[in-house]
Amino acid sequence: MQYRPTAAELLADIADLLDDEVLEAVGGPLQHKVRVAGNLARILEREVRLAPGADAAEAERLRALLGRDGTLAELRAALAIRLGDPTPFDADTERAVHAALVATTRADLAIAKPGHDDWSRG
Amino acid sequence: MSTLADGLARWLGERWGTTVTVAGLDQSSAGARRTNIGFDATADGVTRRLAATILPTADIQLIDLGAEADVRTLAQANGVITPFIHGACLDPSVIGGPFFVSDFVTGESVPRRVLRLVEQAGNGERIAAQIADALARLHAVDPALAPAGLPRPADGVGPISTALGGVRDSIGLLLQPEPALLYGLRWLEANRPDEPARRTIVHSDVRTGNVIVAPDGLRAILDWETAKIGDPMEDLAWPCLRMWRFRNDHLLVGGISRIEPYRDAYLAAGGAWDQDRFEWWRVLGTLRWGLGLANQAAQHLDGRFRTIVMAASGRRVSELTWDLLCLITPPGGRID
Repeated sequence: MQYRPTAAELLADIADLLDDEVLEAVGGPLQHKVRVAGNLARILEREVRLAPGADAAEAERLRALLGRDGTLAELRAALAIRLGDPTPFDADTERAVHAALVATTRADLAIAKPGHDDWSRG
Repeated sequence: MSTLADGLARWLGERWGTTVTVAGLDQSSAGARRTNIGFDATADGVTRRLAATILPTADIQLIDLGAEADVRTLAQANGVITPFIHGACLDPSVIGGPFFVSDFVTGESVPRRVLRLVEQAGNGERIAAQIADALARLHAVDPALAPAGLPRPADGVGPISTALGGVRDSIGLLLQPEPALLYGLRWLEANRPDEPARRTIVHSDVRTGNVIVAPDGLRAILDWETAKIGDPMEDLAWPCLRMWRFRNDHLLVGGISRIEPYRDAYLAAGGAWDQDRFEWWRVLGTLRWGLGLANQAAQHLDGRFRTIVMAASGRRVSELTWDLLCLITPPGGRID
C-alpha cells in the first residue's frame, strides 16, 4: 500500500498546480488545454473517491432491474441488448428502466459535472 | 503573418481589379476546425474591415467551402442576416488552406458575453424573434435553388429517417454499451413523427455561440458549414437545447428568451410550426450531441485527433445523457 498522499489527494494537488500556477505561466491556445487538464484532474479526484461506490450501486440496480447476476459490464451489456429490442415495456418496467438510468447518470454527474442535475426540465 | 497578409492582398486585388493592401490582422476566433481572422483591406483609398474564414486543410470541410459561401449568399438575398461574402478561394496554395472573405461584423458571439450583453440590454426576446424570423426566411427559399454541393437525404428517404439512421450508426460505433443512449434511440424510434411535408434548406447549427449580437439586436448568423436539405423544425429545435443555454436554463431559447416570442415570430414570418416534430428534434439533437462527444473521445483514443480537449469530451457524455433522460421521462415517471 502506498504511503500518503492518496491518489485523490495527489490529483487535487495536480489540479491546483495546473489551475493556480501553470495557467498563468502559459499563453495562447495552450491555456485552454491547461484549463481542460485542470478540470480533468478534479474529475479524476472525485472519480477515485466516488466511482467504487457508484459502480457497486449501479450493478445492484441492474441486478434488480434485470433479475439476474453478473459483473457491471455484463449487466450493462444485457440491458443494452434488451433496449435494442423494440418490444415495448409495460408501464411499470418503463418507469423502472428510466429511473435506473437517471440514478446512474446522476452518480456519473457527481463525478464529471456536479450541479448539472440541478435542472431537470430538459 | 506577412505571408497571410500578402496572400489575402494579392487574392483580393485580383478579384477587385486594383491594388489592395492588408493590415491589422487579428485572430478573432480559432475553433478546432477553422480560424477567423479580422483584417483591414485598403483599395483606392478606402479601408474596409473584413474577415477571412480559413480551413487548415481541405480535408476537414463538412461541405465544400464554395457551397457554404453560395448558400450564405442565397440566404442573404432572401433577407437572412449574415455577413456579405466577397468570395471564396478553394485553392489551398494562396494562404495555406481554403478560405472565404466576408464583411467583418462587430458584436458579441462568445456565449457568456452574449448572455451578459442580453441581460444588460434586455433584448433577448427581440433577438430570439429575429433568429426565428431569419429561419423562416431561410426555410422559405425554394430548395431547388440550393447549391448542388449541399448534403440532402437520399432519394425516397425523409429527413427523419436519415437522422435516425445516422444516430443508429453512431451508436453502433460506441466503444462500450451506453444504455441511456440506447434508451434515447428507442424513444426516438417509438415516437417518430411523420416526415415533414416540405423539405427546405436548413442551417442546422443556429444557436447561442453561432450568432453575433449587439445592443440593437441580431447582427449576423454565422458558421454555415452544416447547411443541408432537411426538416425546418430541426433548425427551430436546435437553439432550444440545454447545452446552448450556458446555465441560463430558465430561458429555453439559447438562455436568452422564452419560447413564445420565438415561435410567434416564426409563425408571423410565414413559417409552419409543428410541436411534435419540435420535441422530437430536441431529443434527436441531444442524443446526437452526446454521440458526438463520444466520437471525439474515440478520435483521441485511436489517434485521429489526439488532444486533451477531445479526450475530455468523453467525460461530458453524462451531461447529455442527463438532458436526454429529462426530455423523455415516461408517463407517470419523474425525476426527483
